[in-house]
Amino acid sequence: MVTGASSGIGRQTAISCSKAGARVILLGRDASRLEETLSAMDNPEIHLMYALDLVQFEEVSAMVEEAAHKMGPFHGLVNAAGISTTLPLKLLSAEKMDHFFKTNVHTTIQLTRFFTRHSDKQSGASIVFLASVMGMAGEMGKTIYSLTKGALISGVRSLALELAPRNIRVNAVSPGVVLTPMSQNAIYSQDEESLNRVKSLHPLGLGKPEDVANACIFLLSDAAGWITGTNLVVDGGYTAR
Amino acid sequence: MDSKFLDQLTELLEMETPVKPADKFRDYENWDSLAYLSLISFVDEEYGIVIPRDDFGKMNTVQDIIDFIKNNS
Repeated sequence: MVTGASSGIGRQTAISCSKAGARVILLGRDASRLEETLSAMDNPEIHLMYALDLVQFEEVSAMVEEAAHKMGPFHGLVNAAGISTTLPLKLLSAEKMDHFFKTNVHTTIQLTRFFTRHSDKQSGASIVFLASVMGMAGEMGKTIYSLTKGALISGVRSLALELAPRNIRVNAVSPGVVLTPMSQNAIYSQDEESLNRVKSLHPLGLGKPEDVANACIFLLSDAAGWITGTNLVVDGGYTAR
Repeated sequence: MDSKFLDQLTELLEMETPVKPADKFRDYENWDSLAYLSLISFVDEEYGIVIPRDDFGKMNTVQDIIDFIKNNS
């Protein structure tokens, strides 16, 4: 199950999962863009897609029940959906904070809760949360984004301990700046000077969605069978300084 | 839009006296990188307009910012 499958890292993760032989449940808000993802996947006919808003928790719960009936038990979940912004403290209204926490944190926890009802009790399951280097390091105007991504990195540790007896591994992946529609709409991408500054902070250059999808595939696979409660940093060297 | 924007800008930039259209905003005592970020973010949030740095570099007065927003709304 992959959220945010209609674009960026979520889309690439869904495509990479299909190429690795998985049957995938794609979740996203926009049906036509989910169709585009589906058409780029191997064996598009074996996958499922649901266009829905993850903050509609009752709808999400019903979707998971239906998907479990059609395709369960589940083996992997990648919580890739999320939003980003650059906002200084004086623009962080309570409404804005609520919106970000609901979208970036609450949705992932609720979906994970529904998902684990139907995870494979025999072979186990792996859950990946897309966090960010902004959950570990700071940048001006990134407080609200950092708060939500730091929450995921922290939550992963406790979830890993809680779910280990059920043979469910839980990890985070923290990318640096990746070339996606989300980063291309960011304020720093609107002019060459700012973009060059961001590039210079990544010794290996900006990332591609495939770079992060590969990390997700690893954590989903049996190759990561003894890894849980960790945060895999995939940032082209951003945090190496 | 003009008077509302001026009030919002006065508050955003924490000015002690109200911002006026003819003000050269870079001459404000508290104009710095945070003020720049605040202004850019505010215009993006409030009006859905991202001001490219090149365009911003050509703006001198508060009226220039207002005109840019009007021309790109």
